[in-house]
Amino acid sequence: MKLLRTEGLTKHFGGVAAVEDLALDVDEREILGLIGPNGSGKTTALNMLSGFLAPDRGRVFFADEDVTGAKPVTLARHGLLRMFQTTRVFSRISAIDNLLTAGLARGLSESDANERARALLEELTLAPVMYLDAGQLSGGQRKLLEFGMCFIAPPRIALLDEPFAAVHPVMRETMAGFIRRRNDAGHTFLVVSHDMPIVVELCHRTACMNAGRLIALGPTRDVLHDRAVIEAYLGSDAHV
Amino acid sequence: MNRANAPAASNGERNLWSRRLALDFRAALVVVAALAAAPLVVTSPYTLGILIVSMYFALLALGWNLLAGFTGQFSLAPAAFAMLGAYGPGLFDYQWHLSLAWGIPAGVVGTAILGWLLGRVVLRLRGPYLALTTLSFAEIARVVVGNSYDFTRGAQGLNVPTLMQSRVGYYYLFLGVVLAVLVGLYVLMRSATGRFWLAIRDDETGAESRGINVVRYKTLSFALSCAICGLAGALYGTFSQLVSPELGLLLQTGIVIAMVVIGGMGTLTGPLIGALLVYLASEWMRGFGNVQMIVFSALVIVFARFFREGLWGLATRRVRVTRRTTVAAQ
Repeated sequence: MKLLRTEGLTKHFGGVAAVEDLALDVDEREILGLIGPNGSGKTTALNMLSGFLAPDRGRVFFADEDVTGAKPVTLARHGLLRMFQTTRVFSRISAIDNLLTAGLARGLSESDANERARALLEELTLAPVMYLDAGQLSGGQRKLLEFGMCFIAPPRIALLDEPFAAVHPVMRETMAGFIRRRNDAGHTFLVVSHDMPIVVELCHRTACMNAGRLIALGPTRDVLHDRAVIEAYLGSDAHV
Repeated sequence: MNRANAPAASNGERNLWSRRLALDFRAALVVVAALAAAPLVVTSPYTLGILIVSMYFALLALGWNLLAGFTGQFSLAPAAFAMLGAYGPGLFDYQWHLSLAWGIPAGVVGTAILGWLLGRVVLRLRGPYLALTTLSFAEIARVVVGNSYDFTRGAQGLNVPTLMQSRVGYYYLFLGVVLAVLVGLYVLMRSATGRFWLAIRDDETGAESRGINVVRYKTLSFALSCAICGLAGALYGTFSQLVSPELGLLLQTGIVIAMVVIGGMGTLTGPLIGALLVYLASEWMRGFGNVQMIVFSALVIVFARFFREGLWGLATRRVRVTRRTTVAAQ
């Protein structure tokens, strides 16, 4: 079943086509990678999928329901959750309070949220820093905390924007392991990343964007060997 | 040592929001208890009057702190809402000869509705744009009240009936309202609503992406904050028996902000002790000429630059350091 699907999704900023006629689909229980050079429109696409940006044209379907223009809060309540490239944690309350707040926002009771928060802190290796204010955590720890906030109540799909960027290799492995385990348990992901080894390792299929357009979509290894994708990254003179 | 692993978990638990809030609330109750005992030693009507006005400011500070300290919405209109609340009983008596039993609730409900509307208007504004819009609202409200002579008697102001003649009675009325507002804020801040306000304060986009209805909780914060300011104004109007547009002067808002910044933003005890200390110091400084605002402005600069957590934050930090030193010595 297609859990998330777009048809002709388009967004222009002034005269610039940030995203043009994007047709993308994410199967249930899949990890779909979304790659592309800087400025190719990946984050703009993610912003439209998660309700932070209204498309100029096109439709977004989530579990076969048209959710075009729906607010982020509505999508979050339906189980479509988003992680940002720049981490967004609540910096002046503790890490565990961040998780409790996210749990309450997703409709969990306080005791449920507390129980799940502690389990997630253990799994994400954040237990030693659970009482520190989130603003005191390192960049990698904040990313892990944001993972926890996304998964305090399991989402139907998690949209992750550059989760592995500028993260220590050990934490990167913690994150990759977390995604793998959750995917084995049946969760769906859309992962934007420049980290090709991780994309190859995690993603069943991959989509590549360039200059706002989708230039390839298919099994990850096929996409990475696609001529258009190589040219998008290395230029048209590249020899394969 | 990795700074992230520094505090031991047992000590760290004190940093849980529920623990911090409980400590903060207990300290605020101690201040209220001290105030409750004050009339046993303070018998001068003049000094009681000063303490009553301090508590009026404490209510404004608690109301403004809900919006700015807990929800991160920097408004410049608390004094304007106090003025509008004060005109509730004033206008109900002057225009329609209705008692305070109608006028005071009308002042509170009216300011809550106006606060909700203002919250909707400034929903997408942040930083200086939010502050300037609330300032514009405050000035428009003050000028409209001041120029509507036929309806409000303009700058002359309105006489307001009093609730009682006893100054001690007023003292305990204000203290009871301060206590009720503190309890109400404590209950709210302990609940999911309070956590959502903190989330909005720290990262509005992040809060929205986690499923928090930012529109609902921001407007709720505006409405409640303005209602608290309106209630303070309505009670103050009956105490002073005169309301005028001067209640809404920007200078009054400046004093409220100074009180919260000096006492400690985003806490319950901070605005309370800030209001008491600043207003009592202001009365004491009257003897030295018109220097209060210079001193308080300088203090705000010092606190904003060096002690952002205010007096309450400094006190709790000192307690934490003392505890850690004691544990280390053992």
